[in-house]
Amino acid sequence: MPNYNIKAKQDMTYDAIVVGSGISGGWAAKELCEAGLKTLILERGRLIDPAQDFPNMYKESWDFDMHGSLTPEDRQKHYKGIRTGFIGESSKHFYANDEENPYTEVKPFLWVRAHQMGGRSQLWGRQSYRWSEIDFEANAVDGHGVDWPIRYKDLEPWYTYVEKFAGISGEALGLPQLPDSHFLPPMELNCVEKDIKERIEREYPGRHMIIGRVAHLTEAINGRGQCQYRNKCGDGCPYRAYFSSVNATLPAAEATGNLTIRPYSIAHSVMYDEATGKASGVRLIDAETGEMMEYFSRVIFLNASTLSSTRILMNSTSNRFPNGMGNDSGELGHNLMDHTYRIGAMGIFDGHADKYYKGRRPNGIYIPRYWNISEQTRSDKFVRGFGFQGGAYRKGWGRGANVESFGAEFKDSLIHDPGPWEFFITGFAECLPYHDNKVTLDTDNLDKWGQPTLAIDCDWKENELALNEQIQEDAVEMLEKVGLTDIVGFDNKHEPGFGIHEMGTARMGRDPRTSVLNGTNQIHAVPNVFVTDGACMTSNSCVNPSLTYMALTARAADHAISELKKQNL
Amino acid sequence: MNRREALKKTVFLGGTALASTSMLTLLQSCQQQSRLDWQPLFLSVDHAQLVSSLVDTILPTTDTPGGLDVKLDMFIDLIYAKSLDENAQQQQVQELDAFNQKCTDQFGSAFHQLDADQKKTILMAEESKSPKFNGGVWGTAVGEQEPVGFYRSLKSLMLWGYFTSEAIGKDVLNYDPIPGEYKGCVPLSEVGKVWSL
Repeated sequence: MPNYNIKAKQDMTYDAIVVGSGISGGWAAKELCEAGLKTLILERGRLIDPAQDFPNMYKESWDFDMHGSLTPEDRQKHYKGIRTGFIGESSKHFYANDEENPYTEVKPFLWVRAHQMGGRSQLWGRQSYRWSEIDFEANAVDGHGVDWPIRYKDLEPWYTYVEKFAGISGEALGLPQLPDSHFLPPMELNCVEKDIKERIEREYPGRHMIIGRVAHLTEAINGRGQCQYRNKCGDGCPYRAYFSSVNATLPAAEATGNLTIRPYSIAHSVMYDEATGKASGVRLIDAETGEMMEYFSRVIFLNASTLSSTRILMNSTSNRFPNGMGNDSGELGHNLMDHTYRIGAMGIFDGHADKYYKGRRPNGIYIPRYWNISEQTRSDKFVRGFGFQGGAYRKGWGRGANVESFGAEFKDSLIHDPGPWEFFITGFAECLPYHDNKVTLDTDNLDKWGQPTLAIDCDWKENELALNEQIQEDAVEMLEKVGLTDIVGFDNKHEPGFGIHEMGTARMGRDPRTSVLNGTNQIHAVPNVFVTDGACMTSNSCVNPSLTYMALTARAADHAISELKKQNL
Repeated sequence: MNRREALKKTVFLGGTALASTSMLTLLQSCQQQSRLDWQPLFLSVDHAQLVSSLVDTILPTTDTPGGLDVKLDMFIDLIYAKSLDENAQQQQVQELDAFNQKCTDQFGSAFHQLDADQKKTILMAEESKSPKFNGGVWGTAVGEQEPVGFYRSLKSLMLWGYFTSEAIGKDVLNYDPIPGEYKGCVPLSEVGKVWSL
């Protein structure tokens, strides 16, 4: 009789495996651990210990020799991500190394990765909006893509559930196109924003300008501290005041005693058991040793980020799934979406020269969608819509380079006079799900672990370009109507990916023949595999998606727990 | 050996070469003939004098520290040495040369040797003819940015280095590391000066 290494397999076995520890993975782990499941998180990057891994959270520009400038070597290491304009000395260690993590841009596409515990939740913009019934009905109404298998009412209680834990600040307005959250007190508009709000709402009945709704604590809750208005979130927050996995969900998961995190673990594929018709576990590559290992569990949550979760499924081939796990429909990898980005207008506000603000508000204004939300607002040029983010601020010393002056008076004016008030708005438009906006496994270009990379083939099409034109036209017109001067309209024509809101490629749907996941985020044909990150999205609304990932994840985890109890998984 | 050539070569060999004894000796011997009281990492003596003089003209000492008081010329040299890639460094050298050549063509000497009025004339001409920076949204310029040229680009680097330095950012501007609150509308007189951060 051969020797069976039974113990080893036991050590490799958990109730649940969660791939990825970002915004959705953190939620999956918290919910599963709190339900008593022994849960293993596979994180491809390093661990983050808040006590030592936020080295710059108290540093100012002058604490860096070059005040935050990057070296040519840094720029080479981040040669793709640097296009965002966000990567500087103080937070560069939270962005993935682009040289070690290549991908192919069949058409230009910016893919921003963050390979450490907490993933991109460390770096996100924190804008948090519920999707509306209009969003969930959109595909069914105008016929693009497939119908969502859920509606707003299915997610509504889960939005409330995650908001109570995450902490979302904002103002309740009762707008049908932007449902209210369970809010903490809103942040304040500044004097110029208040004036502009009043003028926009007067000039355009039905249009609103509101304070951004953000995942920042304006009151201390759940053992986390209140926002101190330093606006240094990306460097690390000593108060844990903004929502991130490291600040909120992972400590909660850890507190149950049921969480194990395995760092430097690159999920390779999900293993399929033909006998049971279920997934048996996850095969991973140890990023440090290159060793391939197998871990087993009853339920698996893929939360590796939109494109990485899809890559794992594409890599998960078997006799049953020769083209990737769950790809009976042929839709795996397809219908990639993002929001259009940096199209809008800016101008100068004359007035309030004797007013200023105090504090650095990590938030701005929001103008909710106003096109195609009723019969009266129907456009004949495009379907769907867009919202604007923006804000007003005094230009400060930053205006100096353009001022045609120099010398003593010039210098002193930049110290004592905060300069004119500037106001800008920039649009985010919804993108339709197109079958030919897709990712494929690129077996010709392997990464340093010998694994196929992704080739991304995605671009904006007629409807997105029509939305962008309308954004530009509306932005300039609004600023004119509210009386700004020196108005400049802009359209940076950024390629997809700049919004850092990748969605789709393993969409939810009602019909296994046209979708990858069902209404509770399970792979139609492999019910113990859940995908609850951006990959699951069937359409992409025009509002920021993370809050919806949180709600979908909590809802799917609840379903997984209840099915496990019933012995259905 | 031509001094600029020596320095350029050194930089292109990489940062470590600068620390070698022979190079330090060369630098020290050259420096005896110059009026620099600091040792540039990248700039030639001519160019360092030009940068220092531009710093002093654009951000002079008043009742608040000037650019030279906060070693802004040394900071600019550091950025050129450590943050620019080789192509950008070469371009910088050419532009610094061209700027001094312009001064020589117009007034017969390099910028740092001109009198105050001549310097002013040169800079006013640069101010009026240099393209402006576009506005920005979240760290990136909006629209197509026309190149602003040597002068406005250096002026921008200068202002950034100056206002983000400790001496100015902490001790001159209004520095509030932990505001604790956001108030959207306060009298400017209560704040007094421009916020540092």
